[in-house]
Amino acid sequence: MILFIFLALLNGMLIGSSRAINGQLSAKIGPFKASLWNHIIGFLFLTLILVIMGQWQVDNPSEIPFSAYLGGFFGALFVAVSSYVFPRLGAMNAAILVISGQMISAVFIDWQNTGSIPSLLRCLGVIVVLLGIYISRLPSTPKNKEVAND
Amino acid sequence: MIDRLKDWLLAIAGGVLLALMIEYNSLLAKHTTPYIASWVAHGMGAIVALALVFLTMMLLSRKQIKNNVTNTSKLPLWFYMGGIPGAFTVVLAAIAINGSLSLSEAIALMLVGQIIFGMISDHFGLFLVLKRRIVLKDFLVVTCVLAGSAMIIFGR
Repeated sequence: MILFIFLALLNGMLIGSSRAINGQLSAKIGPFKASLWNHIIGFLFLTLILVIMGQWQVDNPSEIPFSAYLGGFFGALFVAVSSYVFPRLGAMNAAILVISGQMISAVFIDWQNTGSIPSLLRCLGVIVVLLGIYISRLPSTPKNKEVAND
Repeated sequence: MIDRLKDWLLAIAGGVLLALMIEYNSLLAKHTTPYIASWVAHGMGAIVALALVFLTMMLLSRKQIKNNVTNTSKLPLWFYMGGIPGAFTVVLAAIAINGSLSLSEAIALMLVGQIIFGMISDHFGLFLVLKRRIVLKDFLVVTCVLAGSAMIIFGR
């Protein structure tokens, strides 16, 4: 159990480092080219893994709906946007804001998919996330300075 | 300040794109495997990114492109390797979920990991990121975003 908890935490850190590296590349060659490199290298890496695992077979590939292929489109845009903002906002702020956008839209996507209104706890969660964003927008030190000057 | 607000809104929009990406990629994964789904998504993503690169090249005037060209031969190799930890994520997530974690738990822990990485990275300037001091307010923000996310993840 502890091993898997560690793996999941490590995974989050890997996501962060991927975005940090893409952010550096984006600052040098632009967000769309950074997104292109990310996808080419990721594609080659996964090709290698699939070759090693030898698991290429897919049951009923004709039954896959067209919309299942839209992920790559949003992925290309996402990597470009996150690479662009990452060096400008800093690693922590970029992570916080992307997570906030992701979590809040997940509530709406599930709402759309299931057709039932989100639970009270989920609505409360959205409010708490928004509160966090609001706090991060507040200026951080001036109040303390005033107190110190008195 | 306005410029900064633009970056903030873009980052939140990035999160929306990410949620859509995960939504469609999990649909693909349901019909295939996590590895094949991510492989296909990376291939499609490369094609879309290539189209975007050409599109921006066509829209920008030649002069702007000339000004934007930096000497890319000087960039270290690791600048181009962001796709590897990104793709490896799929492998680790599959292992964690096949292990004893539920999908919700794995997602929640990955969010925590991202934020820990962000704080460490800002503090030490990892990957040449600008160093930034972590202040008390940051912990308040992190607590709110993580607590709210946990309520969303587990409050189904």
